[in-house]
Amino acid sequence: MSPRRTETGGRIDRLRTIRFTFDGTPYTGYAGDTLASALLANGVTLFGRSFKYHRPRGVLTAGVEEPNALVTVLRGEVREPNIAATMVEIYDGLVAVSQNRFPSLAWDVNAINQLGGKILSAGFYYKTFMGPVIGPLKGTRFWMFCEHFIRRAAGLGRAGTAADPERYERMNAFCDVLVVGSGPAGLMAAKAAADQGQRVILCELEPHFGGSANWSGETIDGTPAADWAARAVGQLEGHDNVRLLPRTTVWGYYDGNTLAALERVTDHKEAPARGEPRHRYWAIRTKSVVLATGSFERPLVFPGNDRPCVMLAHAAERYANEYGVLPGDRIALFTNNDSAYRSALALKKAGAAIVAIIDVRQDLSSEMRKLATDAEAEILSAHAVVATEGGKALTGLKVQRFDMVSGALTGDARSIHADCLLMSGGWSPTIHLASQAGARAEWDAARQAFLPPKPTQKWVGAGAFTGSFSTAEAIAEGRAAGLSAAGATGAPTILPVVEAAPGDPDPAPVFEIKAKGKSFVDFQHDVTAEDVRLAHREGFVSVEHLKRYTTLGMATDQGKSSNVPGLAIMAEALGKPIPEVGTTRFRPPYSAVSIGSLAAERFGDLKPERLTPMHDWHLANGATMYSAGLWYRPMIYGLAGETIEQAYVREAKATRDSAGIVDVSTLGKIAVQGPDAAELLDRVYTNMFSTLAVGKARYGLMLREDGLAFDDGTTWRLGEQDFLMTTTTANAGKVMQHLEYFLDVIWPELKVTVTSVTDEWAGAAIGGPKARAILAACVKGTAVDNATLPFMGIVHGKIADVPVMICRLSFSGEMAFEVYSGAGYGAHVWEALIEAGKPFGLVTYGLEALGTMRIEKGHVTGAEIDGRTTARDLHLDWMLSKKKTFIGSAMMDREGLIAPDRLQLVGLVSLDNRPLNGGAHIVEELDEANPHGSIGHITACCYSPALGKHIALALVSGGKARHGTRAFVSDPLRNRFGPIEIVSNHFYDPDGSRMHG
Amino acid sequence: MVERQSPLEPEFHPGSHGNFEHGVEIILSETRPGSILQLAAWPGEEKRLMSSIYKVAGLALPDGAGGGVADGVKAAFGFAPGKFTVVDEAEGLASAFAGVITPNIGTVTDLSHGRTAIRIAGPKAEWVLAKFFAIDFALPAFPVGAGRSTTHHDVFAQIQRTGADQFDIYVFRSFARSFWKALCHASEEVGYEVQ
Repeated sequence: MSPRRTETGGRIDRLRTIRFTFDGTPYTGYAGDTLASALLANGVTLFGRSFKYHRPRGVLTAGVEEPNALVTVLRGEVREPNIAATMVEIYDGLVAVSQNRFPSLAWDVNAINQLGGKILSAGFYYKTFMGPVIGPLKGTRFWMFCEHFIRRAAGLGRAGTAADPERYERMNAFCDVLVVGSGPAGLMAAKAAADQGQRVILCELEPHFGGSANWSGETIDGTPAADWAARAVGQLEGHDNVRLLPRTTVWGYYDGNTLAALERVTDHKEAPARGEPRHRYWAIRTKSVVLATGSFERPLVFPGNDRPCVMLAHAAERYANEYGVLPGDRIALFTNNDSAYRSALALKKAGAAIVAIIDVRQDLSSEMRKLATDAEAEILSAHAVVATEGGKALTGLKVQRFDMVSGALTGDARSIHADCLLMSGGWSPTIHLASQAGARAEWDAARQAFLPPKPTQKWVGAGAFTGSFSTAEAIAEGRAAGLSAAGATGAPTILPVVEAAPGDPDPAPVFEIKAKGKSFVDFQHDVTAEDVRLAHREGFVSVEHLKRYTTLGMATDQGKSSNVPGLAIMAEALGKPIPEVGTTRFRPPYSAVSIGSLAAERFGDLKPERLTPMHDWHLANGATMYSAGLWYRPMIYGLAGETIEQAYVREAKATRDSAGIVDVSTLGKIAVQGPDAAELLDRVYTNMFSTLAVGKARYGLMLREDGLAFDDGTTWRLGEQDFLMTTTTANAGKVMQHLEYFLDVIWPELKVTVTSVTDEWAGAAIGGPKARAILAACVKGTAVDNATLPFMGIVHGKIADVPVMICRLSFSGEMAFEVYSGAGYGAHVWEALIEAGKPFGLVTYGLEALGTMRIEKGHVTGAEIDGRTTARDLHLDWMLSKKKTFIGSAMMDREGLIAPDRLQLVGLVSLDNRPLNGGAHIVEELDEANPHGSIGHITACCYSPALGKHIALALVSGGKARHGTRAFVSDPLRNRFGPIEIVSNHFYDPDGSRMHG
Repeated sequence: MVERQSPLEPEFHPGSHGNFEHGVEIILSETRPGSILQLAAWPGEEKRLMSSIYKVAGLALPDGAGGGVADGVKAAFGFAPGKFTVVDEAEGLASAFAGVITPNIGTVTDLSHGRTAIRIAGPKAEWVLAKFFAIDFALPAFPVGAGRSTTHHDVFAQIQRTGADQFDIYVFRSFARSFWKALCHASEEVGYEVQ
C-alpha cells in the first residue's frame, strides 16, 4: 500500500478505506486516521509553509499543539483555515488544502523571504513602518502601501466569505465532578468519582478515550494499555451518572467553577445527520474539577530544527502505535531526557531502523543503554545536533560533541544519514486550565518545567499534569483525585499494575544548541532563538513584553511547544534563573474555538420576534411590517401602487374624516396592585393618582431621579387597590425595572406587587369622528355615550361575546377609544371592530399614520423624551405636582434644568413645501458651505394631511419664545437646506374640542 | 364561548419531525390551560397564601424555593420569593382566589391570556432544554413538581417539572411563537412529535 504504512498495528480500521484530497491530489487512508497520519502514510512530508519566511514545514506533533501542519478544510463554499492536520479526522470526500503559499506548496515564490535574514527579525513592522518621514515615505503612508503585499506574503490561512450553513448549538451542563482528559489518570479519576455516586462528566479532546494508553505500548494489569483503557471506558459507559464527551476540548476555566468546552460533533463526518450541530459549546458548571490534561513534549532549539521530517519523539511513537505509520525508514533521535529511548524502541519494533540516539547528557543510565541496544541504535552521548540537511524532506543531520554545562560544541561535525529526526526536549505539563483558573505556575527545577499552581478554585490535578509522568503515578493520582473531588477518602485498594519502560522523568537543563543557522523557538510564528536575544538586546525585560514584541507564543497554538524554550533563552540572556523571569499567564481559549459555537442558536435575526395577537391578521390584510424593538408592528396597510407616504397620508386622513383603528397591543402594561398601589403611583408619577376615581384613567409622567423626563402613559384605576399602568412600547421593560427597584430596595415597606401584563391584553385604538358610532354598533352590555364614557372614562362590556374593557383616551387629537380584551380573543375582537366599522368607512392604520397624527397633535414620545429633556422642556410642567414629592422632584429644579436657553419643544412648518428630516439642525443663518450655529434639531417629521404641509416637532433653544419666528433647516448630510417657521407644537386641535367631543 | 386563539397556530404542525434515527424522543404540545394566575404574598404572609392555594386548588405546596406540585389538572409552584404560579385546566380560577386572598395576604393577577404553556416531554427533554437554559434539569436537582424562573435571551420563562421526563414552560404570549420555533429547531436532532 502506501510507502509509510506498517503491515500491521495501529488502532485504525484497515478494512475501511477512506478517500480524500490534499491540494487536489487524491489520497487514501483508513478509518481512524487523522489527515496528518494519512498523509504521512502516503509519504507526504511537506504540509505547509511557515508564517514569515515561507520555509517548508512538515508535521511536528500528533496532537492539538501542532504549530506547522495547518491546513484549510473546504466544505462546499465554506472554507475553514488554520486547522491542525493532526486534529482532522479523515472522511470520504474530505477536501483539504495547504495555505500561505503561492502558487503551490512545493513552489512558493515567497520562499524568497528566507533570504531576508535579519531584516525580517523581531519587531520588523515596528521598525519599518513607524519611522520618521523621509520624503514621500511617511511611516503610516508607507505602511498602507506595503500592507497589501505583506498581508499576502505573511500569515496563516485565508478566511472564507461564504455564509456558514452549518448548525451550532450551546449546551448547559451541571455535574459534581468534571474530569478533563481521559488518559489513565482521567479514567481512574472518573471511575473513582462515579463509584461514589457523583455526577461525572469526562471530556476528551481526541476522538478516543484513553490518552497515552492508546499509543504508549505499555501494559496495564497484564493487558495492552489501550485495551485496559477501552475496558475502563466501557465501565464508565455503564454508569447512569457519567456523561462521556469525546472530541470535546475544555478551553476555558472561569470563576465559580464554570468551564467552557467545544464538542466537535460532525467534523469527522461526510455530512451531519438531520438537525445535528457541527459544534456544541458546552457551558459546564461543576462542583469540582479533576485536571488530567497530560503534558506536551518540548522541541529542542537547534539550527534546522524546523525542517520537514523533524518531529517530536512521542509523536512518531504515536503515529507508529496508534496509526500504523512510520514517519521515516532511518530514524535518528535527539534528546535531553529518557523518554525518547522508549520512542526509539517502539519505532524499532514497528519496523524502522534507528540509526542513532544523540543525547546531550554524558552519563546515561544502564536502563537507557539497554533500551538503545534493544533498538539497535548507536548512542552518541554528550553530543548535539548542529544542523539538518535536505529541502522539503530531511536527508541527513550533523552532530557535534557537546558540553551541556558550558554549552560548548567541540570537535568535527559528523554527518548522519537519516530521513527522520525525532527530538525530545523534556515535557511541560498542560497547565493552561489551572493557569486560567487564577494562579501563577510554579517552576520545578528537577522537571525543568512549570508545574500547576496551588488551586484557587476547587480543582485537583492528576498524572502528567502534575509532573508525574509515569503511568503508574497517573493511575494512583487519578484515583486519589477522583475521590478527593468527590469529597471521599476511599478505602485502600490494589491499583492496576503497569509494565512500562523505565525512565527518569527529569531532563537535562538544555533547551538550545547554539550553532550557525536559524534555530526556531516558535515554529508557528517563525520566532528564532536570535529573535528572543534581539528582544533582550533592545531592552525588553518582561516576559509579557517579550511575547508581544517577538510574537512568541501567539497564533493558533498559543505557544504550547514554544513557551518554555523561549523563556529559558530569555532567562539566559538576562542572566536570571527561569523562575525569576516567570511565565505568561494562559488565557482562554486553550485552543481555537469556532465563532459559530459561540453564537450557537443566536443565528439569523439574533433576537426573538415579539408578535401581537393580531399579527397574522395584519399580514393577511396587506400590512407592511417593521420591527419596533422586539415587536413587529404594521407600518402601513398599503394599497396596490401606493407609496409609503401615500398610504399613511390616506390612512391618517381617513381617520380624521371618519375613523381609523390601530393595534396598540404593544404598549407596556403593568398591573400595580395592593393596599399601597396608589401611594406608589404618587411617588413615581409627577402628578397625583391617589385621587383618581375607580373607573377613570389619567395621563402620567415619570421622571428619573436626576429630574429628567423618563416615560409617560395613562394609568387606569380598575379597583381601589388595582391599577393598570400603560407605558410606551419602548420603555415597558425599563419602567418595570424602575418600579421593581424602588419596591425592592427603596420602599420595601410598600405593599404593592407589579406584574407585566402587556401580553395579557390585546389593545385596539379606534379613533375619529365615527369611532363612537362604531363602538355603539358592536359593544354590548354598556353604553358608550359621553355620559357613560367621558374622556378618560372606563367601561366594561362585550364585543362579539368577548369581555372587553374600553377607555376613552386619545393621542391623535380625535375622539378615540382603546379597546382591551384578553389576548387570546384579540384577533376575534379586532375583526368584529373591523366588521362593525365597515359602514362607517373605518380604516386600519399603521405606525406611520399613528406617528403623523401624534405629530399633528403635538404629543411627545421617545423621540422627545430622549433622556435629555425635562418636563418643562416638553411643556409638561403642568403635570408637576406641588402637593407632593416624587421621584425626580428634588433634582428637577437644578439651575441647568430650568435655564431659559434650554432646548424646548416647538413645531416647525416647512416654508419651501419640501420634506423635513429627523435629526436635521435648525439654524438662524443659513450657510450651506459652512453649516454652523445650531439652535436645535428635529425630532420627528411628516407630511401633515390635516394641514397640507410638511411639518415637524423639534427641540429648539428658547422654545415658545421663538413661536412665530423664522429660521432654517440645515441638514448637510442630506443636502437639505431651507426656510422654516417655528410654531406651537399643537398643530391640530389645539383646544382639544375634537378630542373631547 | 369564543375559543381562545393560540399564538402558535401558524407554526404548530402536528406530526413527527426531525431525525428519527433513534425514534421520536421529544413530544411537544401546547397545554392551553384555562387559568394561569400569579399569586403574591406580602412578606410574612407566605404560609397563609399557600394555605389559600390548598383551600382553593387542593394543592399542598412544599416549603422551599421553587417548591411545587402538579396533579395533572391543576399545578402550582413558587417562582420567586413569596410569588407563585397557579394553573388550572378550567377557566375562572382568578375569581375563586379573589375572595380568598384578601388584601392583607397578597394579590391575585390573572395571566391566563398573557402566558402560553408549552409542554416538552420525552427521554430527551432534559437534553433539549439544556440548550436553552442554564438550569440543572437532572431529577435530583429539579424534582417533579418544582418550578424555576429563568430566561432564554429576552424570553422570560417559568418551568415546572410535571413528570420525570416532562416539563411545562410558561412564556409570554408575544414571545411564544418565536420560542416554539426555537424549541422545534432544537428538537430536530433527536426527532420530535407535535401533539
